[in-house]
Amino acid sequence: MALLSQIARYRVALILGLTLIVASLLVPGFLSLTTLGLGLDRSSTIGIIAIGLTVLLIAGQIDLSGGAVFALAGIVSIQLQPSLGLWPAACVGVLTGAAAGALNGILSVGFKVNSLVATLATMLIFRSIAHWITASQPVSGTDIMFSLALAKIYFDIFTVRSALFLAAILLLHFWLTRTVSGRNLFAVGSNAIAAEASGISSGKMVFLGFVFASTLAGVAGVLQSLATNTGSPMFGSELTVSVIAAVVVGGTRLEGGRGSALGTLGGVLTIASLTTAMEFQSVPAYVQQVVAGLILILLVVLDRTVRTTARANTRAAVSA
Amino acid sequence: MTDIALSMQDRTNPRFNRGSRLVDTVSRAGLLIAILAVVLYGALASPVFFTTGNLVNVLTSMAIVGIVVVGMTFVLVVGGLADLSVPATIACGAILSLALQPMIGPVPAFVLAVALAGACGLVNGLLVGYVGINPIIATLGVGTIVLGIVQAAVGGVIVYGTDPATAALVKSRVLGIPTIALIFLAIALIGNFVLSRSFWGRWTIATGGNYSAAEASAVPVRAVKAGAFIITALCSGLSGALLGLTLQSARPLVGTGYEFSAITAVVVGGVSIMGGFGSVPRAIAGLVFVQLLTNVMVLQGVRTPVQGFILGLLIAIAVALDVALRKRGVA
Repeated sequence: MALLSQIARYRVALILGLTLIVASLLVPGFLSLTTLGLGLDRSSTIGIIAIGLTVLLIAGQIDLSGGAVFALAGIVSIQLQPSLGLWPAACVGVLTGAAAGALNGILSVGFKVNSLVATLATMLIFRSIAHWITASQPVSGTDIMFSLALAKIYFDIFTVRSALFLAAILLLHFWLTRTVSGRNLFAVGSNAIAAEASGISSGKMVFLGFVFASTLAGVAGVLQSLATNTGSPMFGSELTVSVIAAVVVGGTRLEGGRGSALGTLGGVLTIASLTTAMEFQSVPAYVQQVVAGLILILLVVLDRTVRTTARANTRAAVSA
Repeated sequence: MTDIALSMQDRTNPRFNRGSRLVDTVSRAGLLIAILAVVLYGALASPVFFTTGNLVNVLTSMAIVGIVVVGMTFVLVVGGLADLSVPATIACGAILSLALQPMIGPVPAFVLAVALAGACGLVNGLLVGYVGINPIIATLGVGTIVLGIVQAAVGGVIVYGTDPATAALVKSRVLGIPTIALIFLAIALIGNFVLSRSFWGRWTIATGGNYSAAEASAVPVRAVKAGAFIITALCSGLSGALLGLTLQSARPLVGTGYEFSAITAVVVGGVSIMGGFGSVPRAIAGLVFVQLLTNVMVLQGVRTPVQGFILGLLIAIAVALDVALRKRGVA
């Protein structure tokens, strides 16, 4: 049982290692720096959203509207370019994300609507707004050179995006493990009432969690739109499953109170290497979806069974 | 309209016994008033609204979503939050009922398509009821997998029907009423009977109301919870198969948006998202309201994204109201 719990503990590293080994055996040239760099750049989209979702899941809530916010923020940042210029437009895009998060937070914390349903509704709302303001057409930006600059690879492996993602993961790790507010987040997630009783304002914390998650979805959307010089209402429609899968692979519990930044990093890299490997082998998109869905379900089931066994053990130990 | 009259009967629910008279009236008859208002507005604003053609259109589109709504009511009442695999199971029903026609004939294809959709529901049910996974995550994951498999099975292309006779049968009318609407009526009656008159329905409501108490009183809670997802999957499979036969073509994304329409209808109808309360007539009243509203918006030339926006707002408001009314009723 000790072995099993050790495996459960370091399963992110194990899964990532196995994925990398299998991928490098099956896909020729998978381990070249260029492939890894590209994979990392691609994964940073999922990764940045996953950072926000990690925080929210630890606080015991969920956000399904990430993909829609991703599209909306990107569109805003592109459409405002002619009138505001590139940087201010990007900032407004990110602020759109924050505003979306505030709406989610108001619904969940203020009106006490179950966060799943609230974000399901706002997902519909945000996606509709994205279709509305673009008339369902992709929009393109003014400065194509900027997207080239954003896609440039430094030191053979980093792009601006992936560097940003890795830096954000480190910051998140520091915040979650070394600061008081980070620890409070876990307290809110495992027992909101107890946290409230010990002087933590859990409502405020959850609200800020929603704002944080949507802001990061906005950042990812703006970066994606700038990198492709396009904003489209269709962007991010298949992101929800991948992002949740990435976070859950990373060992963050859906019911709140458990999770880590490094786990999320592992989860994102696993999903990314899987996607890259499958794309190199020209596996059709729908098969990739099946794989992403299977991973999600398998890991949640695994998490469930391992955790209940562990709990049953402690209970047995206490009674003995 | 008898549906609404039925839904007015459950006055014994504690939710409606306290609070001010105004809140009482609004929560009891609010939906009826809203439906009447939409009908009145539609009649005044558009000359097309009260034509037979338009009403039959509303009825037909209502029937397709309505069959899903009946199933989704069970999921919400049992406390299963929502079933997000509906688009996948609809696609499963639509694509398979058309794709299998040349091989095994239209009727077996239809039955097999619905049965396979039901099998997806079984997977959902096992994951949610027995493994205890969050329903949203489970159905999101299963939906993605099922949609992928269905797409892979037909090569990711549009499937066309080969048997025009079945299409004619589905599109035919009995006494001026579309057959599809009669099928919906039958499903709704069965659903209502099961939920409000049978032991299974009592178990469903008990499980949603208080899981532990239901478990303690020997209700097979896991099976009841799983059953709700199987019922939804069967319903959406049936709805998908009917949709496929009506259109005589099915693309993999044919079911997109139906889960929201169904959830909107059920939630607007006042079925609690927290479980333990609700009935099929209530959900259908919600559906009637949403469908009429959509119809009026279409007639008024409101663009699709705006409609989506309004429906999203409707879900948010309805759920927030539900929480508020619940607090008033219980406190």
